[in-house]
Amino acid sequence: MEIPYTSEIRPDTGLTNPKLGIWLFLASEVMLFGSLFSSYVLLRTGAPTWPVQHEVLSVPLAALNTVVLIASSVTMVLAWAALAPHAAAVRAGDRQAAEAALKRYRLYMGLTLLGGAIFLVVKTIEYGDKFSHALYPATNNFLALYFTMTGLHALHVIAGMIVNGYLWGPGARMWHSEPQRFANRIEVAGIYWHFVDVVWIFLFPVLYLL
Amino acid sequence: MAHDIAAQVRGYLVVFGALLVLTLATIGASYLHLPGTFAVATGVGIALMKAALVAMYFMHLKGERPMVYWPLGLTAVLFISLIAGVLMSEGDHLLGTRWDDAFTTE
Repeated sequence: MEIPYTSEIRPDTGLTNPKLGIWLFLASEVMLFGSLFSSYVLLRTGAPTWPVQHEVLSVPLAALNTVVLIASSVTMVLAWAALAPHAAAVRAGDRQAAEAALKRYRLYMGLTLLGGAIFLVVKTIEYGDKFSHALYPATNNFLALYFTMTGLHALHVIAGMIVNGYLWGPGARMWHSEPQRFANRIEVAGIYWHFVDVVWIFLFPVLYLL
Repeated sequence: MAHDIAAQVRGYLVVFGALLVLTLATIGASYLHLPGTFAVATGVGIALMKAALVAMYFMHLKGERPMVYWPLGLTAVLFISLIAGVLMSEGDHLLGTRWDDAFTTE
């Protein structure tokens, strides 16, 4: 079955269906992460003592990851900006414009994937360092929250990389057949990726700095 | 058209710069060892600013249709209720006051 309104705006909502869909999905994601943030607030405010977070975790590594993830958000939006303005020309049959745009898109999307990969490598180093010091989720409430929240976030990074990887590789064929629909896909995948960035923007001060 | 895109890309890079500055600011503020409430207000405040920049510009929320704002507005109310409910349940000892002190008239 064909999904309607993937390229054109649906008149009653003023949006394409995927755009509305991703925002409704992200609304549910806000509540998913919200439940964990509120658990953190409850457990920390109710605790008689709490570890000094920046002595347990590595602020420099987390700061590096913050910069990496923000940079990958920038390259993601640049990947979309490489395609979107040329969709009409590609639809009209301009092969040269199509190839030039696709090349720039692949560069930026590749950098976005690289950012995600660096983030996960740094996260793995952090986890390994905790484990080597016998710091596990069962050690205390703070570490339980740290591993749960950053672990769920890392799963979101992996999910985003799978989608972005598909759109970088085989999924990019759609640029030639349905350019507007493909540009919309990149925008929607980008909105998800930026959300993952936003979650980290809150995790960084809450778990490392405060 | 080409000019519009160039301006848009410049805008994204300006937002990038602002996000990096705010990241440095939040790390810098953590070294000041502000008293509890101020530290939380600074940390969460800067995070909210960064999140707003990402949402407005990268996620194109600026100038988006009302159909997006409504569910997000509802989500914001539910999220704040969730956090507020938790804070109120622990409010008897936060900020060094007892919760019922706030309601005592003398």
